[in-house]
Amino acid sequence: MLTPTPTLDASLPRQFSTFDTLPEALDYAAKGTRGINVYDAKGNLIEAVSYAELRDRAVAIAYQLQALGLNAGDTVALIAETSSDFVAAFMGAQYLAVLPVPLPLPTSFGGRDGYVDQLRRQMKSCGARAAIGPDGMLDLLSDAARSMNLAFCGTPAQMEQVDAKPVQLPKLHTQQVAYLQYSSGSTRFPHGVMVTHRAVMSNCHGQGYHGVQLGETDRSVACPPFYHDNGLVGMLLTCMTCQTSVDFIATESFARRPMQWLRLISENENTSVSYSPTFGFDICARRANTSMLEDLDLSRWRVAGNGGDMIRPDVMQAFTDRFRPVGFDPSAFMPSYGLAECVLAVSFMPKGKGIMCDMVEEDTLTGDPISHRGQAAKARGMNGRRNGYTNQVPRYRAVVNCGVPLPDLEVEIRTTDDVVLSEKEIGRIVVRGPAVMRGYFNDEESTRAVLSEDGWLDTGDMGYMMDGCLYVVGRVKDMIIVNGRNHWPQDIEWAVEQLPGLRSGDIAAISITNERGEEIPAVLVQCRPSDPESQEQLRAQVRNKVQSETGIAVQVELVPPRTLPRTSSGKLSRSKARDRFISGGIIPLAAAS
Amino acid sequence: MTQTQADVCNVLYGIIGPFNTKGIGLKPETTFAGDLELDSLTVMDLVAAIEDEFDIILPLNMLPDLETIDQVAAAVVSIQQK
Repeated sequence: MLTPTPTLDASLPRQFSTFDTLPEALDYAAKGTRGINVYDAKGNLIEAVSYAELRDRAVAIAYQLQALGLNAGDTVALIAETSSDFVAAFMGAQYLAVLPVPLPLPTSFGGRDGYVDQLRRQMKSCGARAAIGPDGMLDLLSDAARSMNLAFCGTPAQMEQVDAKPVQLPKLHTQQVAYLQYSSGSTRFPHGVMVTHRAVMSNCHGQGYHGVQLGETDRSVACPPFYHDNGLVGMLLTCMTCQTSVDFIATESFARRPMQWLRLISENENTSVSYSPTFGFDICARRANTSMLEDLDLSRWRVAGNGGDMIRPDVMQAFTDRFRPVGFDPSAFMPSYGLAECVLAVSFMPKGKGIMCDMVEEDTLTGDPISHRGQAAKARGMNGRRNGYTNQVPRYRAVVNCGVPLPDLEVEIRTTDDVVLSEKEIGRIVVRGPAVMRGYFNDEESTRAVLSEDGWLDTGDMGYMMDGCLYVVGRVKDMIIVNGRNHWPQDIEWAVEQLPGLRSGDIAAISITNERGEEIPAVLVQCRPSDPESQEQLRAQVRNKVQSETGIAVQVELVPPRTLPRTSSGKLSRSKARDRFISGGIIPLAAAS
Repeated sequence: MTQTQADVCNVLYGIIGPFNTKGIGLKPETTFAGDLELDSLTVMDLVAAIEDEFDIILPLNMLPDLETIDQVAAAVVSIQQK
């Protein structure tokens, strides 16, 4: 019978990611008894692998990759299944200075072509020389790799068959790129974040030492996938470089049986550290019934981290109401803020503070960041101006305190003209420090768009600082987030443009908020036909096309021709389109009854 | 006891019921993405319900090839026969 790797290990003094490279960190963790564990959807332990065993497997894979002809700087694509096979291959590539690139898993019924296309685009973008995926995925992976002339495309078991001899492994430098992370890019136009050893180590140190402050009795419980920075860095790499045991539940298992997540936390005799985006807390609060709560004990859940999407106070309230009776302590909530371009984390709420909110006038938040300079401060004084187009009393929104920036990161709030703003003024969040990416892989243009010559990263998010804490109010980037997954409007718009009779510029994909405060994706489509029947047909076509290309169910709104706003350079302005749509400035054509 | 694909389809209609928020008429050729408009989280809910009902595991790698209710029924039958 399998036994999970231990939480406690007095034999190995904890080092908080104070290593030059990831292999060096694994070499150290391998001296102890801790490791990673994988549970299935029914809560059965299916893998328990110590860091020592992972190291041995990783080194063997390094030899095999070398035998296949891969060299330092080459890339290997890995389907990011939640398994020790993925972790061993990811680390194996590191030992040979080959860059691993985690690829996503399918998440819905249908859409085979779209998924295969996504894999192919990412593999082309990173110039993959080899691809590894689990048995069941090989068919899809081979399809995606067709005509790519890879040195290897197969399963971990097939990789083991590769005849390889031990070779001298290269000396690694802390400034070398360690891996590529594709979680931030669009699926249609992917770009991989180049993460150096130094960047990942500094950020893991920030998370483990300053953020969650991992202690001797801590164990991590994790559901986010390895193809997201949350799962890869937040859970796997931080725990590995801080020699902490982790219990993984595959994301798809979590989505099927979310209560298994809480069950693992409950069964951990020691203290638990576990992170989730808002939707994870949301589905648990909604699905838990009284019988599920019976033998649950969440009193040892020390850090219930919030990150990965906008943190919604109402959801955390509902979660607390539901689980407080079984010992959940809301001061365990730990809001954080980050992005893949900065490895993962930028700021953490100090330990034990929980969710704290600031009330800001809604009108100030949705407005243009520059013209409203100073409005946030006024709104807080309860004398913010009235909403411009109605006579209603101003509405306020609770903005969550995302905590204090990590000590080695500088954070500034700026206008679009790079004027630095002061306390309580809303603007663009920019970050500088060792965790900031070197750039996007083979994509100088996209890199220059977000990274200045003096090292400041434009996060694409908007927020303000107050008393040393960062408050994130939303995104400048027009990204649409559904259930914790980022979707790029360009991908949705591209899908719609493929329909006959529509052209680029006719379509704006935006995110709107429903009455429950959830984000819903919507497409505004300029519609020429005036008869209701053609309009209804167009709605259905757009909906189906977006669903089949991107897997997203969108709300389709037809709008009159020439109503979508443009920027001065003639480009579609999604933010203006969104503002006008929400404020009633763009009136959609009525749907046929 | 194994069920025929048509039997399984009928059971699936019942399981899909609560997810069919638009109340469309369910047929073997109804698609999950296009007709039912399920997002990825709802899909996993539905997968869990199907797994419970038939006491099977529906592997993730099968999902991209399953567009319609009928195709899911065929997959359920083939898994049951293994």
